[in-house]
Amino acid sequence: MTIMRINVGPIHPSTHGVLRLVVDVDGDTIKGVTPHIGFLHRGVEKLMENRMYMQSPSYTEKLDYVASLSWDDLYVSTVELAIGKEVKEAAQVARVVMLELQRIASHLIWLGTQCNELGQMFTMFMWCMRERQEILKFLEDISGTRMFYVNLRLGGFNKQLPADFVDRAHRLVDYLERNFASYPDVTESDPIFMERMKNVGILDRDTAIEYGVSGPVLRGSGVEYDIRKNMPYYIYDKVKFIVPTGSKGDNFDRYRVRYREMLESIKIIRQALDMMPKDPDVLGVPVKLIGPAAKPDIVVNHRELPKGEGIIYMVPDKQKPYRISLRSPTFINLSVLPKIAEGAKFADLVVISGSLDMVMGEIDR
Amino acid sequence: MKAKGFSYLKKITAVDYNDRFEVVYILHNLSTNEESIINVKLPHENPSIDSVIGLFRAADWYEREMYEMFGIEVKGRKVRRLLLEEWNSDEYPLRKSFTWGADYRNGKDGASQ
Repeated sequence: MTIMRINVGPIHPSTHGVLRLVVDVDGDTIKGVTPHIGFLHRGVEKLMENRMYMQSPSYTEKLDYVASLSWDDLYVSTVELAIGKEVKEAAQVARVVMLELQRIASHLIWLGTQCNELGQMFTMFMWCMRERQEILKFLEDISGTRMFYVNLRLGGFNKQLPADFVDRAHRLVDYLERNFASYPDVTESDPIFMERMKNVGILDRDTAIEYGVSGPVLRGSGVEYDIRKNMPYYIYDKVKFIVPTGSKGDNFDRYRVRYREMLESIKIIRQALDMMPKDPDVLGVPVKLIGPAAKPDIVVNHRELPKGEGIIYMVPDKQKPYRISLRSPTFINLSVLPKIAEGAKFADLVVISGSLDMVMGEIDR
Repeated sequence: MKAKGFSYLKKITAVDYNDRFEVVYILHNLSTNEESIINVKLPHENPSIDSVIGLFRAADWYEREMYEMFGIEVKGRKVRRLLLEEWNSDEYPLRKSFTWGADYRNGKDGASQ
């Protein structure tokens, strides 16, 4: 038995960014994985300590660049808590609609790239991109930019919603629901997909809790923990939805959880749109050179990001955060990779690491 | 805490208050849905704290990150490798005494920005 050491990355198409993995293999079986991170470290926390409150959303958006609005919302709502600003009711509804669309867009990117990694080239990827494009077009018409919106302001948005917001959103989710129905034909009915997803990368319930993972990875292992249910914010306590969970914690469960979450998001969007008041006023406070001052009290804020639980622990100063600490869900989700990849085949490594849905911008910060 | 059901460690971080450090643990009890935040005060000179990796495996990466960013020594750990980057210096980036940008390049210790 000889152990061979193989280096994967940091420039590798399947590691979703600049992740370097040092893998020990015996034949084709993985004996150990050591992730090396930090190639994209920018010191976002330090940068944000030296910026005014409303200068920072452009940093938080680039943390998770496939779901920029989710991080933006986490940060802006933390500042709203710190300065004691209420969010307008219509703005809450509109934020929930946009956040759920962003969640679907993020899961679509995951599903498309995951199917590429399985060798099921491009059918699913093109479908996912097609649907995501419609979502991005919708969000672009609201904010003016395609991916990095920076349109949240304290208490609302930077401008009013377009007049046909509700109609367009209804049309969009109808379109998405129609197309999502055909996805299982390419995934769950496909033997290649099932062979490589079922019983690969098993993460059991106790290990998942011990390693502190969150989001679809935790729920795939059978723990029903979702901030939208456990610590509801905005209007999530008024809408009905279920938290999908898996049973075994393998790759397939994580896929299944994400797929069902996309369908649940559609349900949430429909209910939220029904709550939208007539002539909604969503205008927030414009960004000024000297913003409203924060109370010096520690603020802890939670949000269910598409990839897991995001927490901001902030010690506010008057105009800037004194210390801001970001809990990025994929940072800790990645730390479980050595555990679940051990004993798997080398060819499954990218599939397992892909199933954790990592974004290096968020891991390295 | 773990015996009381707070088995899910969500975050370890630290704050530099110039005269002291505070290490923050965010724990969650999954059966009762309660959250608990524990702040531990440390002196500013040679700060060190015991590792909780024996209780929570999740602490591993957070403790390494905390050592790298704040220079808070974590006792009782096997792996000491730095997490984010190779950084051969006794300066710790997230301490308040660390300056950056033009000041850092010029070797001045003026206030940042």
